[in-house]
Amino acid sequence: MQNQVLFYVLNDSEHTLTNSEVEQELVLYCACLQAAHYYRQHKKVFIYTQNQQQAHAIDELLWRFDADAFVPHNLLGEGTSYGSPVEISWQAPKNRRAVLINLSTITPDFAGQFTQVIDFVPCDEALKQLARERFRCYRQQGSQVNTEALAVNKLLPLLNSKITA
Amino acid sequence: MNSLKHFFSAKGALAGIISGYFPRQAQLDMATEVTEAIEQQTSLIVEAGTGTGKTFAYLAPAVLAVENSSNHSEHNQENKKKVIVSTGTKNLQEQLFYKDLPIIRQAFASNLQVALLKGRANYLCQYRLELYQQTRGQLDAQSLTDLVKVKKWSTATHTGDMGELVDLAEDSSIYPFITSTVDNCLAKDCPHLDGCYLVKARKKAIEADLVVINHHLFFADMALKDTGFGELIPQADVIIFDEAHQLPDIANEYFGEAFSTRQIVELCHDVQQVYRTELTDVKQLGKAADKLLQTSQEFRLLFPYDPERGNWRDKLKQARFAQAFADLQVDLDFLYQVIKLSVSRHETIDNCFERAVNLLAKYEIMSKVDDFGVSFWYETTPRHVVLHQTPLTIADKFSEAITQANAGWIFTSATLSVDGGFEHFSRQLGLSQAKQLLLESPFDYQQQSQLLVPRYLPPANDYQRAHALVDLAKPLIEASSGACFLLFTSYRVMNQVANLLAEQISNPLLVQGHMGKRKLLAEFVDQKQAVLLATASFWEGVDVRGDKLTCVIIDKLPFASPDDPLLQARCEDVKRQGGDAFQQVQLPQAVIALKQGVGRLIRDVNDQGVMVICDDRLVNRPYGQVFLKSLPSMKRTRDLETSVSFLQNITCASQNT
Repeated sequence: MQNQVLFYVLNDSEHTLTNSEVEQELVLYCACLQAAHYYRQHKKVFIYTQNQQQAHAIDELLWRFDADAFVPHNLLGEGTSYGSPVEISWQAPKNRRAVLINLSTITPDFAGQFTQVIDFVPCDEALKQLARERFRCYRQQGSQVNTEALAVNKLLPLLNSKITA
Repeated sequence: MNSLKHFFSAKGALAGIISGYFPRQAQLDMATEVTEAIEQQTSLIVEAGTGTGKTFAYLAPAVLAVENSSNHSEHNQENKKKVIVSTGTKNLQEQLFYKDLPIIRQAFASNLQVALLKGRANYLCQYRLELYQQTRGQLDAQSLTDLVKVKKWSTATHTGDMGELVDLAEDSSIYPFITSTVDNCLAKDCPHLDGCYLVKARKKAIEADLVVINHHLFFADMALKDTGFGELIPQADVIIFDEAHQLPDIANEYFGEAFSTRQIVELCHDVQQVYRTELTDVKQLGKAADKLLQTSQEFRLLFPYDPERGNWRDKLKQARFAQAFADLQVDLDFLYQVIKLSVSRHETIDNCFERAVNLLAKYEIMSKVDDFGVSFWYETTPRHVVLHQTPLTIADKFSEAITQANAGWIFTSATLSVDGGFEHFSRQLGLSQAKQLLLESPFDYQQQSQLLVPRYLPPANDYQRAHALVDLAKPLIEASSGACFLLFTSYRVMNQVANLLAEQISNPLLVQGHMGKRKLLAEFVDQKQAVLLATASFWEGVDVRGDKLTCVIIDKLPFASPDDPLLQARCEDVKRQGGDAFQQVQLPQAVIALKQGVGRLIRDVNDQGVMVICDDRLVNRPYGQVFLKSLPSMKRTRDLETSVSFLQNITCASQNT
């Protein structure tokens, strides 16, 4: 079955992003929101990160979500062997899941196992270049790839309220 | 209502007496609701988070109600209202009576009659003291010193309250010999009845306008479990329970029945004593008591050495338990027959006769394990076995009592709600009609506290678990410079961790079991940098303020052990009604226990601390949400370093002041 890849393209038309670090945090936050969205739809999610540090950052962000928006999650290597609704790792997943959220700069070779893949195109030029690479790669693998714009100026206040809370 | 508003205002009576008092809307809201419940004779459940000032919020309306009722009927004492305040612990009882009530009385310039009534074991029994002096034989040095202290005090005391004897150790072996139990009390046959301190205290309690009791006494009165009881509740117009979260467990205990080998052994000892001193001619008395004593000890030996709890129904199906239990009946019945022949020859033997009759009746209950609607379970202590019959639910009995009482009922605690609701509490006590009020704590938990669930912990049954806990605890203990509780769900892990920590850190380690609870806590406050290791149940009623306690580490979410018989009984009850036992019984119970723990950590607007829960189920299970929604909103983290630096800041700040 052909799988679906959805790229969220960050759109900073009003230049609210001050530096790439803030953008990185914004991408992580969007990934968490996506994980929460699919958890509410009872779909199991795997968040693939660039490295351990990023995996921990996702873990921390999800854990700090409002109690009303709680998302049960685990890092690969903790919790039960079958994992919780949302699993996070910088290593390949150990069980089958419906949704992959990719935060790494490469196209994961296990992406084809997922029916739905979420990926991001940041504004940062270097990262945008890598995202284009991934876009091509998914296509070559036979995935159906779509894009959707994300307005940065609308998301940033949300993230800021999270950080200060 | 205006008088209450003024009372709690910045220029009111309370502010005039308590320095640093400031008005809190939550406190006034609670007082208003309490007043309404008293006037309408309805029930009210209030969760008042730590720091809302709930004690005054219920005491003031209660005292006001008494004052108003006596003003209206100057010559008619009949209409004067009576208040019962019941607490979970003796500590809170004393704090209410000696600290809070005098303030309220002063604030209202009230001449309200107040009384403090404790349990039977807190009062000197002159008859038992006299008996002890006659028969004690050779005493060791400590017991002799204790006896001299008691003797000296007993000639001067007015109340007979053993709490006055502050220099007598809490665990002195002399206590059982100079206080009475329901069993060995001679009641109306006692030669000391006129001077009996317990009788006096109860009389005073019945005459008082406001009496401070505890939950155990309340239910003993309600279930008529002691002589002279059943007199308090019918008179009361206002009944207030503080620490009300403890009510369901205590109520279950009192509406059930217990049959203990301790009661048998005490009966045998008393029979032997009468035989040796007064009725020396009845040799059968001695023989029958000896025989029963032996059978009773053999019964205990059937159970494993280490204390445990379990299902009595299952045990009685096994042939050897059935046989030993049957032997117990034969010998108990024989002793009863022998005593019967000597009835009316001596007051003690008459008392023994009543006890034997009573024990036979209890035996009967414990042998009918096929009864429905109850759970049968046992628990063992190093020397004794106690068999219990516990009702699956007491909600119907309790709500009936409420309907009959024509009083205002207030249930309050800092920990009653689960996930913002009171369903769990009200279902257990049958309080579906009660009005509910949830008042949040004025503390800023986001700023004052952190909740840490560390990453990559090995599972609970992993053999490396103790090592992992130690590795985790060390940096936290160092950062908080002691001032740390480590609480465990099992003694085994607690001892493993204690041994490992002793090798690796130099802080004084205080381990539960090495000394009494009160001593342990006193040492914890006195010794700099001390670390306390205990089981999770330890923190109920623990109050360590300020920077003496900045870090609490719990090894697991405090779910009750699945083989806890009371828990099993409740699960059975919920399942029978088609409910989900985990969601309705186990989860709420653990949530309340955890809320208690957080309450220990942050006691004051200036307190700060870290709560560490070494159980990632809180993060990775959907029910984690129920915990998070029920707990105060602490700043959450999974990063050990974040909590370590938070603790370092607290420690630095407190050392600089």
